[in-house]
Amino acid sequence: MELDVCIVGGGPAGLACAIELARLGKKDGTELNIGVLEKAEALGEHNLSGAVVNPRALRELFPDLKDADFPFRRAVDKEAVYMLTGGSQVRIPTPPTMQNHGNYIASICELVRWLGGKAEELGVNVFTGFPAASLLVEGDRVAGVRTQAAGLDREGKPTSSYSAPNDLTARVTALAEGTRGTLSQAWCQWQNVGSENPQIFALGVKEIWETKKPLDRIIHTLGWPLPTDAFGGSFCYPLEPNLVALGIVVGLDYPDSALDIHVLLQRLKLHPLFREYLEGGELVEWGAKTIPEGGYYALPARRSGDGVVILGDAAGFVDVPSLKGIHYAMQSGLFAARTIFQALKSGAATGDKLRDYDRLVNESYIIQDMKKTRNMRLAFKDGFYVGGVKAGLMTLTGGKLFGGKIAMHSDAEAERLTPGVSPGNPGISKVDAVFKSGNSTRDTIPSHLIVGKDITKEVADFYSHVCPAGVYEQVDGQLRVNPPNCVDCKATDVLGPRWTPREGGSGPKYKRM
Amino acid sequence: MTTVLAVCEQRDGALRKVSSEVVTGARRIADALGAEVEALVLGSGPATGADQLGGFGADRVVTLTGDGFGTYAPEGYAKAVADRAKGGQAVAAAVVCAASAQGRDLAPRIAARLGTGLAADVTDVTVEGGALIAIRPVYAGKALLKVKLTGKPAVLSLRPNVFTPVQRPKAGTASTVAANAPAGRVTVKEIKAAEAGALDVAEAPIVISGGRGLKEPANFKILEDLAHAFGGRAAVGASRAVVDAGWRPHADQVGQTGKTVSPTLYVAVGISGAIQHLAGMRTSKVIVAINKDKDAPIFKVADYGVVGDLFEIVPALTAAVKSHA
Amino acid sequence: MKIAVCIKRVADSETRVKVAADGKSLDDAGVKFILNPYDEFAVEEALQRKEKAGSGEVVVLALGGATSQETIRTALAMGADRGVLLQTDAIPADGFVTAQAITAELKAGGPWDLVLFGKMAIDDYNSQVGPMVAELLDLPCVTAVSHLTIEGGTATAEREIEGAVEVVQCQVPAVITTDKGINEPRYPALKGIMAAKKKPLEVKPVSLGGGAIEVLGMVPPAARKEGRIVGEGAAAVPELVKLLREEAKVL
Repeated sequence: MELDVCIVGGGPAGLACAIELARLGKKDGTELNIGVLEKAEALGEHNLSGAVVNPRALRELFPDLKDADFPFRRAVDKEAVYMLTGGSQVRIPTPPTMQNHGNYIASICELVRWLGGKAEELGVNVFTGFPAASLLVEGDRVAGVRTQAAGLDREGKPTSSYSAPNDLTARVTALAEGTRGTLSQAWCQWQNVGSENPQIFALGVKEIWETKKPLDRIIHTLGWPLPTDAFGGSFCYPLEPNLVALGIVVGLDYPDSALDIHVLLQRLKLHPLFREYLEGGELVEWGAKTIPEGGYYALPARRSGDGVVILGDAAGFVDVPSLKGIHYAMQSGLFAARTIFQALKSGAATGDKLRDYDRLVNESYIIQDMKKTRNMRLAFKDGFYVGGVKAGLMTLTGGKLFGGKIAMHSDAEAERLTPGVSPGNPGISKVDAVFKSGNSTRDTIPSHLIVGKDITKEVADFYSHVCPAGVYEQVDGQLRVNPPNCVDCKATDVLGPRWTPREGGSGPKYKRM
Repeated sequence: MTTVLAVCEQRDGALRKVSSEVVTGARRIADALGAEVEALVLGSGPATGADQLGGFGADRVVTLTGDGFGTYAPEGYAKAVADRAKGGQAVAAAVVCAASAQGRDLAPRIAARLGTGLAADVTDVTVEGGALIAIRPVYAGKALLKVKLTGKPAVLSLRPNVFTPVQRPKAGTASTVAANAPAGRVTVKEIKAAEAGALDVAEAPIVISGGRGLKEPANFKILEDLAHAFGGRAAVGASRAVVDAGWRPHADQVGQTGKTVSPTLYVAVGISGAIQHLAGMRTSKVIVAINKDKDAPIFKVADYGVVGDLFEIVPALTAAVKSHA
Repeated sequence: MKIAVCIKRVADSETRVKVAADGKSLDDAGVKFILNPYDEFAVEEALQRKEKAGSGEVVVLALGGATSQETIRTALAMGADRGVLLQTDAIPADGFVTAQAITAELKAGGPWDLVLFGKMAIDDYNSQVGPMVAELLDLPCVTAVSHLTIEGGTATAEREIEGAVEVVQCQVPAVITTDKGINEPRYPALKGIMAAKKKPLEVKPVSLGGGAIEVLGMVPPAARKEGRIVGEGAAAVPELVKLLREEAKVL
């Protein structure tokens, strides 16, 4: 199939790009053939975030709409930041980077579905259930993508419901795959596009609860239950007073190989601060996803090339201290659309023409914001308190102190200590959690995970702790892999077995994450 | 005196058990309306067991015969019943069928012939202000719909195994009437045995599932023995853990993420009760759990639990079921 | 080969059911809607038969609100040729009313070689519209068909009954309602999804009569009664069997 523009990923970045492109085409009287490929069965089902959204990109994308027209849940009103210990909390002043006044609490799933509706109204083709598995190239030019096959059995042989891969050629391919995008990584490696620091990631695990007690503020916490040598914190946002999103995020460079973020979230729920809200309530959804945390120094040197641009989380446009990435994603989509449109108008979408996308991003608030906080996350590689002090000083000085780049190792290289304490599992089990993610992947699916050979018991244990979905288990010293459990969070893709795209529609079915 | 028709079901000349449930349901309606129950048996002649119907409340038992009525003749049966409902001095107040395989095929045809709607798969029926009120499960049993039937007659089909037959002796006067209905254009050519081993766990009325507590694949034999004791109505299922371990074929899997089974009786043996498994079998009518861990989550969902060594309990259960068979 | 397939837009089977404010229907906030799975078999059956015949037309018909157009487009993406939506916001609780509306449309668009339905919708489990339409069209009908062959004007169908398989025959044209096992529905291909946008989809508003079934309310099922541990070890078995027999009445 031939398209003018093929957008890989139906998230905020990809859809914003599609919408702006379609609009530019209409205004100009050029009918652009735009296709968005989304691996989930329906838009939103693989999207997960906190989320507290900065409305600025949406306002630019839809200048005729008011904030009240956007699919936000509620404006941020009260907020609180706490430092937790095992049994209590200390309220600390909200760090300047975490001021959320003017922002909105939202469900990224609802935002994506809304954007999808707008895109389809404008004639964009949204193809759900079609994961892009590889790039089609002509010389150094990206010519499109090939989708993943469906209907294979456990041995990889076609069953009666086999559906062959599709080749989609396009004049421009926009990679908006989200965190740990496979094609984005492949392109950067192939084209030798590096970054000053390797990209690093955090893993977030989140639950949505229908609560008896209403919550009237957004809450962020630091400290317990995360060990002091791990970077991260928790969040608790009311989508409605009695519909609460609760999650915990940890940087994947933690040293304790027995750290299990699933266990930490279950523990967090028992803390007095949260327990009173969850008492008598019901867990309605669960999910997990990684977040690129490397910041400014981990951005690829360029995010454009011959026939290709990279958007959103796939490029690493996330600001860790403010926990924001959605509006950067949409803004990058907007910039990409404008660049692509101009490039197509003037002929071919060569690397030269598409470089303008990089210029737009570099001159925008995306890079301004990320530059200011470029070392905040990296400072934490020396542990929480030292990092905290450094981070505090950076904030106060607007990034001028500790301004030289702090070199960072990749998560996979972070030294792991031998297993520590791993007490029992409060709350729900991993298998229960996977069920609550809406995952109903067929059990006969071939494994999409590339696991090394000769995995030792210690490594198997490590994988089983890292993966929040119970894909990996250590049984009698051997590694057992349960691929259907996978919710595409990509955590082990960062640290161990490689994730590859599998049959469309597999994985979670998030509704309001 | 108005009539409530109870459409019974025979196979090979013998009444199926569900017929007594239909008569029981019809009797309940008739009592509330002050009506009579007329049990209808369609076939080539009186069916075995028809004489019991009086005991369940049939005032009359009418056998409707016709050419080709020996086996299920959808069009002929539908016309015969619809004619019976309309004929006579007054239109019947209600026509009650079973929501069995045959009933689900027959009842809509009867309703359409009568020009009215059908409340299908009903689990409860009462009469309020002279009108039939029925309860029917919707959304796979996740909700119950309460509906009022205003048709004359009201047509409904009853979910099997819900209207427990109750003795309400009535005259049960038997008669045979030649239905003025040709068999019709749809013919049952044969009834053949389902493929061997084709009793699907998703559809078997009794499912006995084994988990890792069975310790090794060969031990599933004790579950197969228990299944046999139930005489062909039971399927042996397996938790995902044992299927993944390769002990049991994938087709036996119960509690796969998203797969729902709803047998009348679900016996979970050596299964701790992961939430996906629980959600998959939660709508089973009766759940029995056998596990050595008294804190296993499955006991929270089971109606009856037995704590202990499954290797002792299951064979004992097999023996008990066999001796009661 | 002219085949009509009647389909329905239904809530996904994983939906958490909440009762709407009116106390009678599903609260559809955030609910995912899909093409009724049993109807997928019907669409696939129609497509396969048209392909085998070499030529013909597969027309998809739905009764529902404006959003049912998406569902029709799914069937068009699978390969159906055109669609018709009988648009109404109030889907009747009485399947006979639905059957009458569908029959009128089928009569206007006929004659048909085959009229296919899924055996039942997974939201209301009514299993009735198909055979009712057959009665109104005066066509032979076989329901819940898990295997179908048509040769020389005769349809031979297999359907599952309790513990056995019934083999049924009738002449075509006929109405068939499809069950699992009859075929494996295809995934819509990319090309199919794009082509579906251009295929004709006619929207015809309909106003329907009341019918003989009135919904008084929708409620969650009764909470499961708390279970209990009957006893320990093999010694508990006689008590268990007694309870299963006398209390639970499943033995």
